[in-house]
Amino acid sequence: MRTLAFSLLCLISVSSSAMTRIEADTLVARGARAYSAGETATALALFDSANTAFTSPALLYNIGNCHFKLNDVPHAILYYERALRLAPGDADVRTNLELARQKVVDRISELPSFSLGSTWAKIRGGRDADEWSRRALWACLLFFLCLAIAVAVRPRTARRVLFGLSALLFLGTALSIAFAAFRHDELTDDSEAIIMSPKVDVRSEPREGSTVLFVLHKGTKVTILQQENTWSEVQLANGSVGWMPPASLERI
Amino acid sequence: MANLIRTFTAFVLLFIGAQRLSAQEITFTAQVDGNSIAVGEYVKYTISLGNARDRFEAPSFGGLVVVQGPFDNSSFTIINGRMSGSTSRTWVLTATKPGKYIIGAAKVRVGGGIIETEPITIEVAKGAGQQSDPNATQGQSRDPNIFITIGLSQRKAYVGEQIVATYTLYSRYSGLETTKETLPKLDGFWAENVELGDVSWDQQLSTVNGLQYRTAILKRQVLIPQRAGKLRVSNYTMECVVNRSFFNRGTPLEVKSNAVEVTVTELPGNAPSSFKGAVGEMEMQVKADRTQVKANEAIELTVTYAGKGNLKLLEAPDLELPGDLEQYDPKVTDKINVNAGGMSGSRSFQYLVIPRHEGDFLITPLEFTYFDTRSGSYRTIASEPLNLQVSPGDGTAAAVQRPNKTDVQVLGKDIRYIRTGDLELRPTGEHLFGSVAWFAGLGAPALAFVVFLGWRRKREAELLDVAGSRRKHADKVARKRLSDAEIALKSSDRQAFYDALGKALHGFVADKFGLGPAEINAANLRTHYMSYTGGEPVANDYIRLMEACDMARYAPVEDRPRQQLYDEAAALIGRTEQLVRA
Repeated sequence: MRTLAFSLLCLISVSSSAMTRIEADTLVARGARAYSAGETATALALFDSANTAFTSPALLYNIGNCHFKLNDVPHAILYYERALRLAPGDADVRTNLELARQKVVDRISELPSFSLGSTWAKIRGGRDADEWSRRALWACLLFFLCLAIAVAVRPRTARRVLFGLSALLFLGTALSIAFAAFRHDELTDDSEAIIMSPKVDVRSEPREGSTVLFVLHKGTKVTILQQENTWSEVQLANGSVGWMPPASLERI
Repeated sequence: MANLIRTFTAFVLLFIGAQRLSAQEITFTAQVDGNSIAVGEYVKYTISLGNARDRFEAPSFGGLVVVQGPFDNSSFTIINGRMSGSTSRTWVLTATKPGKYIIGAAKVRVGGGIIETEPITIEVAKGAGQQSDPNATQGQSRDPNIFITIGLSQRKAYVGEQIVATYTLYSRYSGLETTKETLPKLDGFWAENVELGDVSWDQQLSTVNGLQYRTAILKRQVLIPQRAGKLRVSNYTMECVVNRSFFNRGTPLEVKSNAVEVTVTELPGNAPSSFKGAVGEMEMQVKADRTQVKANEAIELTVTYAGKGNLKLLEAPDLELPGDLEQYDPKVTDKINVNAGGMSGSRSFQYLVIPRHEGDFLITPLEFTYFDTRSGSYRTIASEPLNLQVSPGDGTAAAVQRPNKTDVQVLGKDIRYIRTGDLELRPTGEHLFGSVAWFAGLGAPALAFVVFLGWRRKREAELLDVAGSRRKHADKVARKRLSDAEIALKSSDRQAFYDALGKALHGFVADKFGLGPAEINAANLRTHYMSYTGGEPVANDYIRLMEACDMARYAPVEDRPRQQLYDEAAALIGRTEQLVRA
C-alpha cells in the first residue's frame, strides 16, 4: 500500500513535469559519454538539463566534477555540497570536495564542535532523509508485528522476549523518524551558501562604505543568518559575522 | 680703456710735441672714463699735467669712495734737446649710494699761478651692480682685510622651510692658505651641503664699503629648521696663513665669522590629517605602470613628489590599498638638486603591488598636504583614483608564491571520476519524509495491529463462550459416556466399562469447572466443590468413586460390583448438577 501510494505520487509528479525519467536518464548517459570524451562543457550542459527536473547525489556530483574540470571551483564546491547534503557519507564526493576546497583561498579554522555532535553525526551517518524514512517504515512495521506476536503468544518467556524486542523496535522507529526529520531539515535548510564572486568585502553594516571587516574569496562557505535590503548577514565557520552585498552568494 | 687713453695721449704728445712743446705750453686736465655709473661700479678719474712737473692736490671726491689709487704715471720725452712730458694721477672711485656726485676741481701750482680743472659730475644710478652685502659690512668691522660672513636667504622661516646659508670669505691678502676650519654648530637644523666643488676665488672682485675684496664661497648649506624659536647658526672659524711667499713665512690669522639667528615660527595648528611635514611648493603624481594585469603579476605603483622644499625629509605615503593587493616596501628614488636656490627636484616611491586575485580594484585617491610657505597655508592635493582590472591568472605564480599552503602537491592529484550507469534519479523536490505515502506507511502497521487486537478480543470472547457451553453440556456429555459404560457393562467388557466410566467422571468435572486434564486431582476438585454450599460430601463421594474407578481401571482389583459403580456415578453427576444449579 505504501509503495503503491509512493509510486502513485511519483507518477503524478513525473507526468506533471516536462521530462520523463527515461529522457533524463538518456541525457545523463549522453553527458557521461561527453565527459569521458573530454567534452566537459557539453557534459555539463547535458547534466544541467537533466537536473532541471530530476536530481540525485550522483548527478550533482557529476555536475560538480564538470565545474571542477572547467576550473570553476566555487560552482564545483556548490554542487559537491549539494550532493553531500543528499548523501553525506559519499566518499567520492568528500574526496573531490576536499580537493576543490584546497583551491579556495580563504582558510577558515572551524570552531571545534562538541564531541557529542560528531558522534551524533556518525550515528546519523551518510543516510539521507528518505533512507531514514524507509528505515522508520520498516522499524514501525516490525514493531507492530512483534507486538502482535507478543500479545498472541502463550508461553511467558517467549512473550517477554518479544515484548523486549518490540520495545527496541519502537526505539528504533522513533530514532529513525527523528533522524529523518533532522536530515529533512538539513536538506530543506538553505541557509548555507557559497561565495561566487572572486572577492567580497564583508562589512560591518549592510551598506556600501561601512567598515570592511574582512575580505572573502570565491568558494568559501558561509551561513546566512538574515537578510536586509538584499544584503545578507553571514557567519563564517570560525564564528565571524558580517554583511555581504547581494549577488555574491549562491545558496547550497 | 685707460691703456688706450694712455697710448693715445703718448701718441698725441709725440706727434704734436714737435710743434707745441716747443712753446712749453702747460696743460692741466681732469678726465673720467664715464660720467654715469651704477652703484658698485667703478669710475676712473685721472688728472694729467702736461709739460710741467709739479705737485697737484687731490680734489674733493664729493662722497665718492676711493677704491684704488692714486696711481702715478709720468712720461717724458726728450727730442732734439727739447723735453716734453706729462704726469698723471689716477684714482678708481666708486659710490655706495645712488645720486649725483661732483668731483671738485683739482688744482696745481705751476710757475706762480694756479691752474684748476673743471669739476666733473658723476651720475650714480641705483644699480644692478654688486651692492654691498650687509653681512659683509658687519663682518668687515672686525678685520677690514679678511673676514668671513654667513649669509642667509631669509631670517624668518617656518619649521621645515628651507634656508640657504652661504659662508663667504672676503680677503684683501694676496696669498692665503687655510690650515683649519671649524664649521658652525647647527642646533635645531637639518643641514644638507650644497656641492660646490673646489673652493676658488670668485672671478669678480667685490666691494665692501669701498674696499675691494677677493671673495670665495667656502660653503653653502641648505638648512631646514626642525623646531620653532630663535635658532642660532654659530660662528664659522677659519685659521689661515696670509702673505706667505718664498721669502716670507706669512702671518697666521684666525678668522671668525659673525653668528646669525633665525626666527622660526611654528606651522599653523590647523594641519589636515594628510599633512606629514612637507613644506615648500610641491606636486604629487600617482602612476601605475599598467592597470590591466593578470592575478599574481606585479604592478609598479609610483608616487612622485616634485617641487621645491624639504623633499629629502618626505616619508613614504601610506597607501590605502584594497585588502587583496599585496604591497611591498617602496623603493625610494631621489632626483633632488641641492643648490643655491635650495632643494628642488623630485622624490618618488615605487611600490611593488601584486594582486593575488582577480577582480576590479579601486585605489582610492591619495591625499597629500604640504605647507605652502608663499601663502602661509596648507594646501592639499589629491591624486586621480586608479582602477586596476585584474583578470584571472594562469595559476602558476599562485602555486609558487602561496606561502602557507603546503598542499601544492595534492593539487597535482585529480578529482575522482564521475558516476556512470543508473544515477537513481528522483524528481526534484520529492521527499519520502513527510509525504502522504510515508505517513500511510507508518500508520498502516498501527492500524493492522489495532485490527489484530480487535480480532483477538473477539476470539477470546468466543473462547470464553466455549467454556460456558462446555459446562452447559457437561451433563449431556457425561450421560453419553455413561451410556457407553452401560453398553460395556452389559457386554461384560471390563476394560471398556472402566475406560468409559473414567472418561465420564473426568470429563464431567473438567467441563463443569473448566479444568485441564492435568488439573483434575483431589485437592482441585475439593476447592471447586467447596465453593458451593453442601458441596463437601459430594466432593468426597466423587473423589472416592474416581479413586475406585481408577483402581479398577489400572489394577485387577474390583471391590464393588460394576452396576453399583455405574449407578453411583449417575447419581453423583446428577447431585453435582443440582449443586451447581442451586
